[in-house]
Amino acid sequence: MPIKQKNHRASDLAGTAYAHISAAIIVCVFAFMLIVILRYGFGALSLRFLIEEPDPSALGASKGGILTPLIGTVVLTLIGILIAFPFALATAIYLGFYAKKGGFNTLVKGAVDILSGVPTVVIALFALLVFTLPQFGFFSVMIEGVEGTNRAYGKSFLVAGITMAIMILPFVIKSMEEALKAVPASYMDASLALGATKWRTIRKVILGAARDGLTTGVILGMGRIVGDTAIVWLTLGGSIRMTGRKPWYAPENWLSTLKNGGSTLTSYIYYASPAGEGNQFDVAFGASLVLIAIILLLNLAATLIGKAGAHKNG
Amino acid sequence: MDNTSKNIAIRIKNVTCSYGGKPAVRNASLDVPQNSICAFIGPSGCGKTTLLRSVNRLNDLTEGFALSGSIEINGENIYGNDAASHVEALRRNIGMIFQQPNPLPTGILKNMYMPIKAHYTGEKKYFYEKAVEKLKTAGLYDEIEHRLDRTALSLSGGQQQRLCIARALMLEPKIMLFDEPCSALDPIATYKIEDMLLELKKERTMIIVTHNMEQARRVSDYTAFFYQGEIVEAGRTNDVFFNPKTELLDQYIRGRFS
Ligand SMILES: Nc1ncnc2c1ncn2[C@@H]1O[C@H](COP(=O)(O)OP(=O)(O)OP(=O)(O)O)[C@@H](O)[C@H]1O
Ligand SMILES: [Mg+2]
Repeated sequence: MPIKQKNHRASDLAGTAYAHISAAIIVCVFAFMLIVILRYGFGALSLRFLIEEPDPSALGASKGGILTPLIGTVVLTLIGILIAFPFALATAIYLGFYAKKGGFNTLVKGAVDILSGVPTVVIALFALLVFTLPQFGFFSVMIEGVEGTNRAYGKSFLVAGITMAIMILPFVIKSMEEALKAVPASYMDASLALGATKWRTIRKVILGAARDGLTTGVILGMGRIVGDTAIVWLTLGGSIRMTGRKPWYAPENWLSTLKNGGSTLTSYIYYASPAGEGNQFDVAFGASLVLIAIILLLNLAATLIGKAGAHKNG
Repeated sequence: MDNTSKNIAIRIKNVTCSYGGKPAVRNASLDVPQNSICAFIGPSGCGKTTLLRSVNRLNDLTEGFALSGSIEINGENIYGNDAASHVEALRRNIGMIFQQPNPLPTGILKNMYMPIKAHYTGEKKYFYEKAVEKLKTAGLYDEIEHRLDRTALSLSGGQQQRLCIARALMLEPKIMLFDEPCSALDPIATYKIEDMLLELKKERTMIIVTHNMEQARRVSDYTAFFYQGEIVEAGRTNDVFFNPKTELLDQYIRGRFS
């Protein structure tokens, strides 16, 4: 017989097995991670763990909690998103409604794309270069007592917050741009045909209709800040405690706290791990658990908002 | 059509429109007398919407759009002044209804207030009374009286379209443009809107784009037939439908092509 039916049996079996095994491996790795994190982490978790400041002088023993790293994460996230939000929204509006094709528009889009690909450690390095200039001393503190130096320390919550804002800008801009694009053009027509100005139309009609999508963009940006380590390490410093005037939580010391360094959950985890100063897997995993919980909550919020939006428009 | 320019509400003169250099309307001229309805008919893609949206300059924001010639409303060339405030005032005086009903995703009353609140301040009571009056004109009030605060998206398609008409009426436009206002509606909803058009005509000038020959015949006084970007024939609706001068229009009316 000149032609013969091909037998696909073997390759089909191999392919099926390959797919199943890959999926199983992923599930195993994930389950193993979860077990380890929960096993170590839950041991460390307690109310005291959450509301006590870390005590890095205590050797070995898991003394102290994660209060200041937790506050650090929250503060940094708020600063970052508060700075990024107005810029991102304005840029998204520009790209969506004002930019003409070509020229400057292409430049902005290119810059956004490139910025989104720059590793955060490089952004941090750049921020350090800029914020150690004495002209930017206001954002941190000046180095004093060292003969012949006139530089800023360049590490503080303010500096790290600004750096975080720059880091998340491209992602927030893109997701906001998508949210604005998703608003039906007929809304724009409806408002313009009634004689509203373009700006009023954007402000009253488009932003309102895109609100859920815009919020999702903000939440995703916050998630990125919460999870970042390199920027914290380079621009917030390696100290686990708040380095400003004490007590850091007194209102009259807030500015000092913001102009000085501290830690976040990510830098605390590094610090407490064997790679850092401590050798305390349990507290490191305890902090990891809190960190993951925050990120999951943010993702959940984003999903719920997305669902609510889909429901409302559907 | 009438030659006394005094009674002409909309005078389109040698208008050519293009998108990114590609022509969509070629050298169109047309007069629409005061308090009459003019129907735009013609096959798909022949430039009806383009010319209609040029009458309230809604194409201005479309990238690559260009227009030459002039459109006069009550004797003034609307393309003679490009100031944003001028264009917005123009649009405020011209109501436009689209093919897809486009109420905004907010309350019914909020939709009604939207146009007026953008331009005027005043007592809430006045706004409310005006909204009720216009909803009545649109024949919608009795149907939705008890749910004025519900979202406009909860209305049926026909109700949404009548809401859009009522919303446009809030600014008391003397000219109204309709772009296939009934193409998404069932016959009864269509009939209600046609009724309203005849009522509105008493003190307004209107242009309606339609693919429905019957509708054009029922509601319009004048008809302009478009073909490939040109107005091939225009005149009194009766003349256009019963005495077509061109072979093309004759075939179109008989449904030979669409
Ligand atoms: N925003 C736009 N950008 C580019 N070309 C366009 C745009 N809008 C319309 N056109 C083109 O202009 C021409 C006329 O379109 P127009 O929408 O005015 O036709 P129409 O007569 O309203 O058709 P229909 O009956 O299908 O609504 C078409 O060739 C169309 O492809
Ligand atoms: Mg059209």
